[in-house]
Amino acid sequence: MNGFWSLWVMGLVVLNAGITFFLFVWAQKVEIPVLPDGTTGHVWAHGVLREGLRRLPRWWVFASASFFVWGVGYLLLFPGFGGFKGLLGWSSHAQHAADVAVNEANIAELKARFAKMSPEDLAANPVAIRIGERLFIDNCAACHQRDARGNPLLGAPNLVDASWHWGGDTASITTSILEGRQGLMPPLGSLGADTVTDLAHYVLSLSGAPHDPARAAAGEPQFALCSACHGPTGEGNPVLGAPSLVDSSWTWGKGDLAMIEHVITDGVSGVMPAWKGRLGTDETRVIIAWLRSQAGDRLAMTGR
Amino acid sequence: MAKGYRYFEAIEKHAGKLGIFTAIMVSIGGLAEITPLFVEAHAITAAEGVKPYDPLRLAGKDIYVREGCYLCHTQMIRSLRAETQRYGDYSVSSESVYDRPHQWGSKRTGPDLARVGGKYSDDWQRLHLMDPRAVVGESNMPGYPWLADEPVDAADIVARMRTLKRLGDPYTDADIAAAPEALDGRTAMDALVAYLQGLGVRPDAEAAP
Repeated sequence: MNGFWSLWVMGLVVLNAGITFFLFVWAQKVEIPVLPDGTTGHVWAHGVLREGLRRLPRWWVFASASFFVWGVGYLLLFPGFGGFKGLLGWSSHAQHAADVAVNEANIAELKARFAKMSPEDLAANPVAIRIGERLFIDNCAACHQRDARGNPLLGAPNLVDASWHWGGDTASITTSILEGRQGLMPPLGSLGADTVTDLAHYVLSLSGAPHDPARAAAGEPQFALCSACHGPTGEGNPVLGAPSLVDSSWTWGKGDLAMIEHVITDGVSGVMPAWKGRLGTDETRVIIAWLRSQAGDRLAMTGR
Repeated sequence: MAKGYRYFEAIEKHAGKLGIFTAIMVSIGGLAEITPLFVEAHAITAAEGVKPYDPLRLAGKDIYVREGCYLCHTQMIRSLRAETQRYGDYSVSSESVYDRPHQWGSKRTGPDLARVGGKYSDDWQRLHLMDPRAVVGESNMPGYPWLADEPVDAADIVARMRTLKRLGDPYTDADIAAAPEALDGRTAMDALVAYLQGLGVRPDAEAAP
């Protein structure tokens, strides 16, 4: 703020403070005429209320005077008096930068210590997994849920079972978090509803889920189409993010026939957004540490 | 000295005068705080990468306002460490030059949305708007399922773009002519999701290292 508007604000501040200060000083000196009955002669409600006369209490005068001192001091030290920046040179953005620096300094030691630890050690460190859980709730739980067991309505996979679409080693999970993933199951409704149902029964049979054996047998030859991504035996392909169909872990739905038919007919395209703009590698490592601490033996995560 | 008292008496005993002088004193604050910002707001230009809303997002923005999303969500990340750590860089006024009205605010029931674009998938946004508790169990946000059945009125959006152009937003005639095609078959849900997914996303600015 410069030029005219700076002067405009300065003028109004001086005007306002001047009038107020003048009244504060002058009003205390004004002599008020007193009637013999000790009142000023102001009456309300037909004389029921009459205005008496008392000196201003000292505490009130002192408090008011200190507000003037405070106000002038504030405008001297901080921005507020037009374009004048204040003697302290304070700004909210500089304050923010300083607060961030203090926070970075506070956690620098922790970060350095975590950086030297192996993923396994990190997963056993109570401080790391507590931070990891907070970050998970803030960033990941909206889709994968607070307990990391996924959301079958959204195709958000369970993260604490042994099934990993894009690979369960630390490097693959780090890539999934930072770069994001885009799954693509194409719609195959053109096969016809009957064939889709046969295929769905065959898919159920792969993991030993309840199914109709006759329909599964009819669906088996059709599975050649699916094997391009899910593999000839339905074991999945982490390069494409094609999930394994032979384990009991489900991404969409919970192994119910209708959902499998829907996925085959209409296709699905699960999206894991890229988090590199929001999370750094340090944060990613402690999130994975927390996942590892939750998953225990079930987890396939290995290596760095 | 009794003379000075007459002035007090003149004001104190006449409600009209008292009111006028009170109004003058109070308005000094408003003249100092509001007027300069009101005038200087027109001098603010768009931050790098901030563009006028495309037709679908413009429709979404108006649905956002119509449904009162701003009653619970702000789009203003304050320059406080705890906020920038959670939501990202603090907001600056040059990011919201095309928001009429702007969606800042100081009252949050839900989280700030200034940089929510791309944080979740389109499917998540859709499911969340249909039934928030399908994705966030403890959410107290209401569902907005009717948006999925409501078509976007292309003629209305074209009229709004023309008005915004007149107000100075850099839409071209080609932009406006292309709007009906971009909105063809789109629902209010599509529009709102597109709007949310664009919040805080600035492709040109992100290209810089």
